[in-house]
Amino acid sequence: MQLDKWLVPEDLHYDRKDYWVQPAAGEVVIGLTAYGQSVAGDVLYLELPPVGTLVRRGEVSGSIESGKWVGGLAPPVSGMVVEVNSDLEADPAGVNQDPYGAGWLIKVKLTDLSELDDLLSPGAYREWIEEQIRREREEAAVL
Amino acid sequence: MDFYDLAGIDWWSTQCYYHALAYLGREGLIICYPTSPYVCLGLHDDLEQEIDRSYCEVRGLPLLRRETGGGVVYLDSNQIFFQLVLRRDNPALPLRRQRLYEKFLKPAIKVYRLYGLPAELREPADIVVGGSKCSGSASGDVGECVAYTGNILLDFDFDLMSGLLRVPGPDFRACLKTVMRQHMTTLADWLPELPPRSRLSAALAAGFAEEFGPLTQRLPDEELRAEAGRLQARLTGQSWLHLLGRRRLQRKIKIAEGVYLMERSHTSGESGIALLRGGRMASLSDCLDLLADGDLPPIHNTGSRRPDALPAEA
Repeated sequence: MQLDKWLVPEDLHYDRKDYWVQPAAGEVVIGLTAYGQSVAGDVLYLELPPVGTLVRRGEVSGSIESGKWVGGLAPPVSGMVVEVNSDLEADPAGVNQDPYGAGWLIKVKLTDLSELDDLLSPGAYREWIEEQIRREREEAAVL
Repeated sequence: MDFYDLAGIDWWSTQCYYHALAYLGREGLIICYPTSPYVCLGLHDDLEQEIDRSYCEVRGLPLLRRETGGGVVYLDSNQIFFQLVLRRDNPALPLRRQRLYEKFLKPAIKVYRLYGLPAELREPADIVVGGSKCSGSASGDVGECVAYTGNILLDFDFDLMSGLLRVPGPDFRACLKTVMRQHMTTLADWLPELPPRSRLSAALAAGFAEEFGPLTQRLPDEELRAEAGRLQARLTGQSWLHLLGRRRLQRKIKIAEGVYLMERSHTSGESGIALLRGGRMASLSDCLDLLADGDLPPIHNTGSRRPDALPAEA
């Protein structure tokens, strides 16, 4: 598995749970990165926090089901959900097929703009992916 | 690793103990079975779409929604559950959660093989014998842990399972039962006599010790019992059971990996039934189509033992 397989757009911010964040005038759009959707697997269902929900950075506010696993969705920033990608209800595979486009998850109005400073730059996120790829190679040797 | 060999316990305990371990951040292995039957929903199942509640009420079948994935399952004492809880920061847990299934299911595969069944893993997480599924499994992040669950099928009530699921009509139900029977198998299909559960549990435990290291037998302590009790109220509560879940315009029921029975609309506006298997879809004019298709595995005798099956080893 190689880093260049995973697109990391230069105009986004990232976190170590493999979310991307696109700021836009006090609001952000959040989604799963190309690498993140690969780790999650083929997405079968998403439970996204409804509009009006106050979400807190790192706290589970939704869930994702893929193949034979269910995990939590924990936004990388805090705020109020102002829009949810309702297309994913009918077609959750959008997360896998177009993670940076049609597969966006939620839009959040930020309550703490300083949280953006804690996110990773594209370069730092690429380093994170490289760490994970190394870890996966070690896992494969053991499993 | 802590090991809880619980044998037969209350139906709700068979779900609540592993959830409790996970919420307490305690790793462990549980082997158990329910002393009475129940119906268990996956985290994202929609109760109204999936289950015929009146059918369950008439038969006194309680409901519980778990926090792991997968679909609706009927669970009773003819199954043995094995449940593994690992902390998310455990280095043995792979990044891609599905990768642990091979290791997690190996003990159960060994148990089936011990009794002469040619069991193998069908990725990502089905155990199959002769092409037929003989287990159920699921996993999910629960609290700060990840829980993996699986079972060994001693026998299975296909009538009841096909009866409790909400379906478009009687033809669909009849097809459902036939398709389940054709794609699933149990120890009862293969052995003239079922081995004692204690022997199966001991063999499972030995397999887990081989895969995950030495097991330290424990009894549920007060903290674990209290947490399980708290979770019983939540996982069986009406608001939790009635959480909105995955809804489809047309009924689609997963039988095994890559095998689905579906309601299908025709251009005429009428509904039909289709079987999706290995990426191919076949419309079924009735369930007799299933028997005519030479591709399908042979139907096992419902509820009876195969006379030519291998005897259980001592």
